[in-house]
Amino acid sequence: MDAITVNHLKRVFKSTDGIIKRTTKEVVAVEDVSFEIRQGELFGLLGPNGAGKTTSVKMLTTLLIPSGGSASILGLDVVKDADQVRPRIGFIFGGERGLYWRLSALDNLRYFASLYYVDEATSKKRIPELLELVGLNGREREKVEGYSRGMRQRLHIARALLHDPEVLFLDEPTMGLDPVGARELRATVMNLQSANKTILLTTHYMFEADALCQRIAVINKGKIVALDTPSKLKENVQDLSVVEIELYGIPQEFIDRIKALEFVVEVSIENRDQRQVLQVHTPKGPEAIPVLIENLNGLRLGRIITREPTLEDAYVRLVGGTED
Amino acid sequence: MKRLFLNWNILARAFEIEMRQNLTDGFVVFGILIQPLIVAFMALWMLKGKGADNAIFVVVGSGMTGLWTTLLFNGGNSITGERGNGTLEPLVASPASMRVVVYGKVLANVTQSLLSMIGSYLLISLVMGYPLTLARPGLFVISLLVSVASLVSFGLILASLFILIPDFARMVNTLEFPIYILGGFLFPIALLPGWTTPLSYILTPYWAAVALHGAAQGTLEPLQIAGTWGIMAVFSLVYILGSGRLYRVILYKARTDATLDIVGN
Repeated sequence: MDAITVNHLKRVFKSTDGIIKRTTKEVVAVEDVSFEIRQGELFGLLGPNGAGKTTSVKMLTTLLIPSGGSASILGLDVVKDADQVRPRIGFIFGGERGLYWRLSALDNLRYFASLYYVDEATSKKRIPELLELVGLNGREREKVEGYSRGMRQRLHIARALLHDPEVLFLDEPTMGLDPVGARELRATVMNLQSANKTILLTTHYMFEADALCQRIAVINKGKIVALDTPSKLKENVQDLSVVEIELYGIPQEFIDRIKALEFVVEVSIENRDQRQVLQVHTPKGPEAIPVLIENLNGLRLGRIITREPTLEDAYVRLVGGTED
Repeated sequence: MKRLFLNWNILARAFEIEMRQNLTDGFVVFGILIQPLIVAFMALWMLKGKGADNAIFVVVGSGMTGLWTTLLFNGGNSITGERGNGTLEPLVASPASMRVVVYGKVLANVTQSLLSMIGSYLLISLVMGYPLTLARPGLFVISLLVSVASLVSFGLILASLFILIPDFARMVNTLEFPIYILGGFLFPIALLPGWTTPLSYILTPYWAAVALHGAAQGTLEPLQIAGTWGIMAVFSLVYILGSGRLYRVILYKARTDATLDIVGN
């Protein structure tokens, strides 16, 4: 049996404006999302900001009622059987909210343990184990307000595991963490997966999805645009090379001119400090460089390289162009 | 039976967490201690020509204002606080009954507000030197317990609106003084126009004020005081039974309207 089944899930947000003449605006956050996740699988939901990742997770964690479609966790419907779903899942949302900052980590964990009907004896045994797992032992009596962002994020993970859930939802768990903190957190996620938890991880970091996930669904504008293993997704761009050109400012007209070239499949821009890196996906490889330079005439250029495509390039090709 | 014990554990933990958070909140300390003292001081000033008998009326009345203010602002606003912390979503998505959690939180706020009655008592008896005696101390204590239970049940209903409407905190400002007046906290409702009397009768804070003033001053017979307990018990039962369906509907609507993670103004 699949641990998670999602069938044509849809979510529309409505907002109203005006007092006498009220107007209703509708925003489709998730248009049509379907996938299945096997028990014990670490599955990635990858997409740019606003693609519908968090909205999808909130529907699966019973926090939002879908506008259409259906979803089930361990065979239980997330709307009709929400009361039975909740004890069997754990979740964390990216960012620092979701904890009582004026209380200690221990107080937070004891409170959330009671909310999940974990009895006192189990709670006394499990909390120290979880503090050890997330590397917070010895700091548990300090107030959360004094914690670093990484420590808070690890406390979130401990909170989500208090009741030993079968299914975990990790929504951008490394968001805002420094590289060391993010690496430690990824190691924790790997440990959880080896403990046979089913995990749905959302991220917009390609390397994170590549390193952790067995399968990845790429979501864009509320729809799944690809679903496969990381290596299969990379194969989609194996016929292409990526030419990277460093620039110190590039007007839109130049980008449009490059996009219009016959041999160019996809163009993206990445900001690195004061520079931009123009990434051109093309089957021509290094042969494309002279024509590209000709079309960038008048601009200050830096280093130019040609490289093999990565999962990130596959992702860029799927979601199209620059990320916001 | 085990489930009942675990629910009791949730209620106790929610109570403890709320208490400990409040103790570090300056506004809560103001609502519990300072504001009722200001009200008590002003009321005593107004009633000073009418003899020392009014002192106990003022203690109870100003204590009631503290009780109501705390229930209104802190009980409900604790939901707003959960939104601000980002903890409302984990609460709702947990298997715990939201009603049990809210009951624990409101109970903590109302219990803390009883300090305001003690504060008024100390101000009036020790600082201002008025003799204070409770006419029926036993009945007063029971009336206080019944009033707290009844007001907490009312708070349960009130808090549900904070879950549904992120901006509800702004609306409740308008409910503070009308209830002081309609509840007869600081002067009898007989001074109000007749058409307002039915409104007072449907408010549990009014019956709490009747019971507490009556027991403190000895203006009601024991049977009459017991009658107010009965009315408050009926109100509490209606609120608690009604809250089951109310919370189901409101939580479903909040999940449909996506208001759980919206922080109000």
